[in-house]
Amino acid sequence: EEGGDEESLEYSKRHLPEHACKYCGIHNPACIMRCNVPTCRKWFCNSRGNTSGSHIVNHLVRAKHKEVCLHKDSPLGETILECYNCGCRNVFLLGFIPAKSESVVVLLCREPCLSVNGLKDMNWDLSQWLPLIDDRCFLDWLVKVPSEQEQLRARQISAQQINKVEELWKTNPEATLEDLEKPGVDDEPQPVALKYEDAYQYQNVFGPLVKLEADYDKMMKESQSKDNITVRWDVGLNKKRVAYFVFPKEDNELRLVPGDELRLRYPGDGTHSGWQSVGHVIKLTAQEEVALELRASQGVPIDVNHNFSVDFVWKSTSFDRMQVAMKTFAVDETSVSGYIYHRLLGHEVEMQTVRNTLPRRFGAPGLPELNASQVYAVKSVLQKPVSLIQGPPGTGKTVTSAAIVYHLAKQGQGQVLVCAPSNVAVDQLAEKISATGLKVVRLCAKSREAVSSPVEHLTLHYQVRHLDTTDKSELHKLQLLKDELGELSSADEKKYKSLKRATEREISQSADVICCTCVGAGDPRLANFRFRQVLVDESTQATEPECLIPLVLGAKQLVLVGDHCQLGPVIMCKKAARAGLAQSLFERLVLLGVKPIRLQVQYRMHPSLSEFPSNSFYEGTLQNGVTTSDRLLSQIDFPWPVPNRPMFFYVQMGQEEISASGTSYLNRGEAGNVEKIVTTFLKSGVVPAQIGVITPYEGQRAYIVNNMARNGSLRQQLYKEIEVASVDSFQGREKDFIILSCVRSNEHQGIGFLNDPRRLNVALTRARYGIVILGNPKVLSKQPLWNTLLTHYKEHEVLVEGSLNNLKQSMVQFQKPKKVYN
Amino acid sequence: KVKVMQKKMPESDPAEEAEFDREYRALMQESIDSRKLEMRSRPTLNMTIPLNLFDSKDHGRGGGTDIESGDEVVDDQTSGTSVQFRVLVKKGNKQQTKQLRIPRDCSLVQSTKQKEAAELEE
Ligand SMILES: [Zn+2]
Ligand SMILES: [Zn+2]
Ligand SMILES: [Zn+2]
Repeated sequence: EEGGDEESLEYSKRHLPEHACKYCGIHNPACIMRCNVPTCRKWFCNSRGNTSGSHIVNHLVRAKHKEVCLHKDSPLGETILECYNCGCRNVFLLGFIPAKSESVVVLLCREPCLSVNGLKDMNWDLSQWLPLIDDRCFLDWLVKVPSEQEQLRARQISAQQINKVEELWKTNPEATLEDLEKPGVDDEPQPVALKYEDAYQYQNVFGPLVKLEADYDKMMKESQSKDNITVRWDVGLNKKRVAYFVFPKEDNELRLVPGDELRLRYPGDGTHSGWQSVGHVIKLTAQEEVALELRASQGVPIDVNHNFSVDFVWKSTSFDRMQVAMKTFAVDETSVSGYIYHRLLGHEVEMQTVRNTLPRRFGAPGLPELNASQVYAVKSVLQKPVSLIQGPPGTGKTVTSAAIVYHLAKQGQGQVLVCAPSNVAVDQLAEKISATGLKVVRLCAKSREAVSSPVEHLTLHYQVRHLDTTDKSELHKLQLLKDELGELSSADEKKYKSLKRATEREISQSADVICCTCVGAGDPRLANFRFRQVLVDESTQATEPECLIPLVLGAKQLVLVGDHCQLGPVIMCKKAARAGLAQSLFERLVLLGVKPIRLQVQYRMHPSLSEFPSNSFYEGTLQNGVTTSDRLLSQIDFPWPVPNRPMFFYVQMGQEEISASGTSYLNRGEAGNVEKIVTTFLKSGVVPAQIGVITPYEGQRAYIVNNMARNGSLRQQLYKEIEVASVDSFQGREKDFIILSCVRSNEHQGIGFLNDPRRLNVALTRARYGIVILGNPKVLSKQPLWNTLLTHYKEHEVLVEGSLNNLKQSMVQFQKPKKVYN
Repeated sequence: KVKVMQKKMPESDPAEEAEFDREYRALMQESIDSRKLEMRSRPTLNMTIPLNLFDSKDHGRGGGTDIESGDEVVDDQTSGTSVQFRVLVKKGNKQQTKQLRIPRDCSLVQSTKQKEAAELEE
């Protein structure tokens, strides 16, 4: 029902028209002809591209076809070209002759009509016979040559490709150029490039990668079925049935998120028949319970609690939308401006500036004052059609983005589209933008409407429901009825849906800014919207095809915000990741020479904590907007080895182990010390919400949680409230105190996840007041970046060992870093 | 307007081009030869210009209706001058004309214009 509704609306209209040139896709009726051979009937244009003959002539020669027909919307209308006298249709023989005294021309074949004798008395000037095909191209006043602009936006096809596809057509007339690129089943996919000839080549590279990732994702998720699940039942405020249960997870990075769809099954027993229902995850509790809101409330076996099974319901929506976006990018020349089209493909384009009157102030109402680098960022973004803003940790990326959106919206270019790959980021930004006084609509996926959101009042579904309905509108009445009965008669349901759609449209259209996830920008409810100005936050965490979804709604001015020195998009399929799907558009644009504007003042970390990240990841450019005294909690009594430097590396020599699941690692020694550090913080007056424990391994995460519950000397509840999670799930967030447990302690193996400098950067930059790192320096020092980090800690006398209440500087020897590491 | 500075095209292959050229000429020759053999009996030309040609202006397609055959028009896109012509075509057995603009410097136009000029002088 809901899915069906969405699919029928899914914008499928972005196809090349049938009359598009089969080589290059150009479809201007004045520029194309159809091959008139009955078994062929393909359309081609009259441009040469980079071949020596025009596309139509290329086809005729390669296929040995000789007849053509003009398009019905061409100046001559639908016309088969033929000799006026004998009806010969061979275009290689046809030419025009003029009348001797009138402005009239006629097509005449060269053989035999032109060579007939005894024409002296005729009105026609045979001596002026002009062949239809001149220099391997049809006369350009009969069939126009596409403009340079049209040719640049078209698919760039080489003579070799033409030959190949013509060969293919001999056995399969329906074959397409994409078929040439199709890799064999076992082949490595074609890797991403820096530059692309055209959007078709782009689609040919990314299409298969997205497909690989989609297939992998489907396989992974559908294999996630769990049995023997214990359920407890509840009823939500909307009277829908909610099932709570623990869904065991592993190291495979598959994280359930609100909005995911699961199927809950009961096999049946003596008193119950078998039952199953699909539902949406509406939240994940701190106790790692999943709350699943069921779609159907009828027949739920609520008197049973055990022996349920859970399956993942995989949906292709997000991948489908990426594919549609790439197709739109290729075939619809209005999808993005010409400038953005060529910039995205890496073509050399003459610099452009946007002519706008700049505001006198670059800040925005309701937001904090901007600092110099933030003002500079806002100012340059407003003048450029494409800009990148790099926001290192804590530099006020969201405020800057909100200020940019404020000024973009004030330029009268229509509605601004604001996206980010994650819902959390979209919510944060929507809130800030709304604070400036702009009218914001936050569009959520239908499957997330039941998920609570900090900006609920901005969501479209909320606004539809809470429309000022003093006049008791039809929609309002139907809504009340639906809420009361759970469902409506099919006639009412139809009416309800169409009224709802109209209201959604009305509300969305009156907004200054639409906020949604990148994938959400492909929502059918936005299908007819155009956005000239688009800002994508966290864009370094989106894959290119994902980032493209919001762009192809008409972008003329594009702002990508992110930080390519922090974690990139998560790609599950190794093959696709190896081929480069994990590289964001932001990164590629940087490689293409687009210089990101860097926000330079960080307001998060104690200056001692920002020093190493600044030097190692940002060329030392990160300035501190907070002072040492701003980040001093005088009432907190914690045994920092150097009092003014709230950081230390706690040397651990305990062994790593393979976790019970066999797929992850844990380190009991480190886990024990994590508990001791946490307890010391708590005793000194820090509250649980201020502490974050980061560890890259699921095995260790689970062990730390259990160990704190078992061995922690304080109230259980305190430990339960402490967030223990992976580096990835801490990206974009901060805590006052961070404890990082590295786990790996094996002389002969790698250090796994911690090898990625970007992951280390994220881990080191989450803390505001203090950080403790637990790890084995002997192992970590083999990696060059870790070696520098350890050296930095050692130089500042904060590389320590011993018991927590008696820390001493460690004299442990580092290993020489390996020059090359994976 | 977007100006693309370096249009990087796939390299064109001289060998491919030469081969295309050969095929093109072969096709042309074959076309001519086949007609020469086929058309043993020479057809007669029956190409009178229909009398009603010049009194039905809205007969053809394209071009503004205000423009008469032989009128010169400045083309907006190429900013070259073109001349309004009619193309005589057969629709079944019926004769029909369609409007078409031909650039001023095309040999077809040159010929007609010169004749017209010559006639005017006479
Ligand atoms: Zn053909
Ligand atoms: Zn073409
Ligand atoms: Zn003929």
